[in-house]
Amino acid sequence: MRLIKTLAGAAAATLLVTACTAGGSGGSSSGGSSRALTIANVAGQTWTCSFNPFNPSVNSLSFGFAYEPLVYVNALKDNAETPMLAKSYEWNADKTVLTFTIRDGVKWSDGQPLTGDDVAFTFNLLKAKPALDIDALWSSALKSVTASGNTVTVTFKAPAATYFYYVADHTPIVPKHVWTTGDAAADPVKFQDSTPVGSGPFQVKQCSANNIVYAANPQYWQPGLPKVKTINYPAYTDNSPANLDLASGKAQYGAQFIPGIDKAYVSRDRANHHYWFPPTTNVALYFNLKHPVTSKLPVRQAFAYGIDRNQVSKIGESGYQPAANQSGVVTPTFAKWLDTELTKKYDYSLDKAKAAQALASAGYSPANPLKLDVITISGYTDWDASLAEIKQELEPLGIKLTVDDLAGETFNDRLQKGNFDLAYWSPIGGAGPYYEFRQNLHTANSAPIGEAAASNYERYSNPAVDKALDDFAGADEATQRKLLSSVQEAMLRDVPLIPTTESVQWYEYDTKSFTGWPTEQDPYALPAPWQFPDVEQVLLHLAPKP
Amino acid sequence: MRFLLQRLGFFLLTLWAAITVNFLIPRLMPGDPAGAMMARFHGRLNPSAVQAMAIAFGVDTHTSLWTQYVEYLHNTVTGNFGTSLTYFPLSVSSQIAQAAPWTLGLIGVVTVLAFVGGTLIGTVSGWRRGGVVDSFLPPVFVVTSALPYFWVGMMLILFFSVWTNGALPNDGAYSLDAVPGLSFPFIADVLQHALLPALTILATSIGAWILTMRNNMVTVLAEDYVRMARAKGLSNRRIMYQYAARNAMLPNLAGFAMSLGFVVAGAILVEYVFNYPGLGYMLLNAVNNLDYPLMQALFLLITVAVLVAVLICDFLTAWLDPRARSAS
Repeated sequence: MRLIKTLAGAAAATLLVTACTAGGSGGSSSGGSSRALTIANVAGQTWTCSFNPFNPSVNSLSFGFAYEPLVYVNALKDNAETPMLAKSYEWNADKTVLTFTIRDGVKWSDGQPLTGDDVAFTFNLLKAKPALDIDALWSSALKSVTASGNTVTVTFKAPAATYFYYVADHTPIVPKHVWTTGDAAADPVKFQDSTPVGSGPFQVKQCSANNIVYAANPQYWQPGLPKVKTINYPAYTDNSPANLDLASGKAQYGAQFIPGIDKAYVSRDRANHHYWFPPTTNVALYFNLKHPVTSKLPVRQAFAYGIDRNQVSKIGESGYQPAANQSGVVTPTFAKWLDTELTKKYDYSLDKAKAAQALASAGYSPANPLKLDVITISGYTDWDASLAEIKQELEPLGIKLTVDDLAGETFNDRLQKGNFDLAYWSPIGGAGPYYEFRQNLHTANSAPIGEAAASNYERYSNPAVDKALDDFAGADEATQRKLLSSVQEAMLRDVPLIPTTESVQWYEYDTKSFTGWPTEQDPYALPAPWQFPDVEQVLLHLAPKP
Repeated sequence: MRFLLQRLGFFLLTLWAAITVNFLIPRLMPGDPAGAMMARFHGRLNPSAVQAMAIAFGVDTHTSLWTQYVEYLHNTVTGNFGTSLTYFPLSVSSQIAQAAPWTLGLIGVVTVLAFVGGTLIGTVSGWRRGGVVDSFLPPVFVVTSALPYFWVGMMLILFFSVWTNGALPNDGAYSLDAVPGLSFPFIADVLQHALLPALTILATSIGAWILTMRNNMVTVLAEDYVRMARAKGLSNRRIMYQYAARNAMLPNLAGFAMSLGFVVAGAILVEYVFNYPGLGYMLLNAVNNLDYPLMQALFLLITVAVLVAVLICDFLTAWLDPRARSAS
């Protein structure tokens, strides 16, 4: 009857549509060339086609592709430097004045020459608009930036060797002649910058909500580079399509956490599918040092002796994140700063007996258990697994942990205001253990309970540690080692937080069509495609296989 | 006339209440957008960026709540919804304009299909109670309607996408490498991506329409005028459609108008399971990122759509059914 006929007709029509396009699903590749590099990094939303290098949500799309820094600093190779826009630099004696000499012959992608003026303009733009100053350069360190021809003079308020990384490596240089006209001049904060004019190796050729196509910049100052001519950067909103594309070879450069990576990714192409997860910062259990119970040192020591970090790494992180050490120095990345004498002196390797003893001295035992809450961000399933493992390890000792999974904002709020017993977190770190120590331990990054602390959430305050961290900026290398050793001793003696595993950068690479990838044996840059400006170094090293 | 004014007045009152609640609720949520962005980019953003972002987002101001409310009312009436924080620096209206067609397209079309299909099946089932159609379709669809939406969605993904090795796409509105435009390949690509979400919504919502229509038919068939029509010698088909169905459909029509209003809410579960870039997905992102401007605009859109739909539904019922017109 009529109803059945209508239904049959509709079914036939849909099948027809499916059949017509089934063959084409995912078969058509954009850019035509099989040598286009495709990046798999989940953005979580569709592209806004905005490339403003000072907008934290999109700067990883333009800084390193279209924009460049003055000097590239490699955090993985003990801060090895590669001069980029600045061909050389010089500090004055007390490290308060930094003078850059800008490279000759560099052109912006619109043909105009790049001069010291552009560099000075960039820094002064950050001063004029604090909303753009995402590294807080002017509020924490800079006093003035001036240019004369190709010489740029940066003056600091105090000795600032530690700010070199942020000034030279972390600031994208933008063209004055573009940013002083039109929309950019009217409101640089809201400036979309949809076709960025930069000095870098790539330009934005095409951008739609689902994909960005980058093309090599013919004006690029390094001759013959980049060898990769086209890059696709699709807007993945979820992990599974990105992981599937990496496994099938459709994407070659990934920043994905792939569960069961050997089976899901490596086994699909044993010869070409590789991964490397360099550790960069510590994931740690933060104690609330103003809490009546966790403020007691023996309680914290009980945790430090009682947690088996190797197990947490193996079970919580599937072995992807190596076990951390109580000194708080990420190894092997920053191994040269680790004071091995101190590690031996305060031996925090797993010792259940010592843990029980420490706990007993505070009055707790399996008969009189200690009950504490640990908050963590919901959605980080690997952290949940790690905490479940820690909870299991501590229970027989007499510590009963309750894991509180909180939604992002609620977690953030409680973490910053010190409204917790214990918290599981990892700081951003930087190009050396100094940055992580400063974030975690310096009083300036703390705040009273109830107010938002910048990064010192456990509220540790030790004037000796503050002084050591403050002196670090102006000291020579030998003194710096002594200062960091003293900070490590504070970590070992006071146990303000317990690093459990080392947070890594997820990185997968496919050698089938491209060579020149950063690897564990050749760590010439931090490898993740969202890591700016390191991604520029990766893109410059890559070459399509003939 | 009095009926009209009464209804309009009530509509305006409810609208005002909804707008005020819309203003208050995001401000009662803990945290702030800059902090939300820190959480989103954890590990990649310097803690010092928070201050910069707070200034950029304009949440750094310390104006009184009342001033903010008046400004908000003004902005709402003039349609100025500001800049989105999730999609900074794009404006809220541009983002909504981008997402709206996907929601209205997918869910609007499927709602209409579900209504039409459900009503037809319900009519036939009610007319021939115990017949072939009645024995199979209503029970099957009632069962599928009871299933949780996301489960049906994931089962369909499993059967038609994963097990067939990608014959049907499980994700997105169009392929990552498709070039958007009014070309046949793109439209075909969009239809292919819309197939599974549409089937899921259809399967889970059609049951309600079928059941209500069938029950209404059964009630109507007992009426005297149907007996009169039979006695007059009219054909079965004519009686079924022109007399019985028309009267039975009235309650359903009112429900249909309401459900059209809810289309705008975007069926968040649909869009989440299939990563469909519609208004529901955008609302989810906005809430996660504490994007006040976008959240408020979307809540407003949903509220207004539902209220307007209810209003139209009232008028429609009054127009179609003279019995409802008499203002008591």
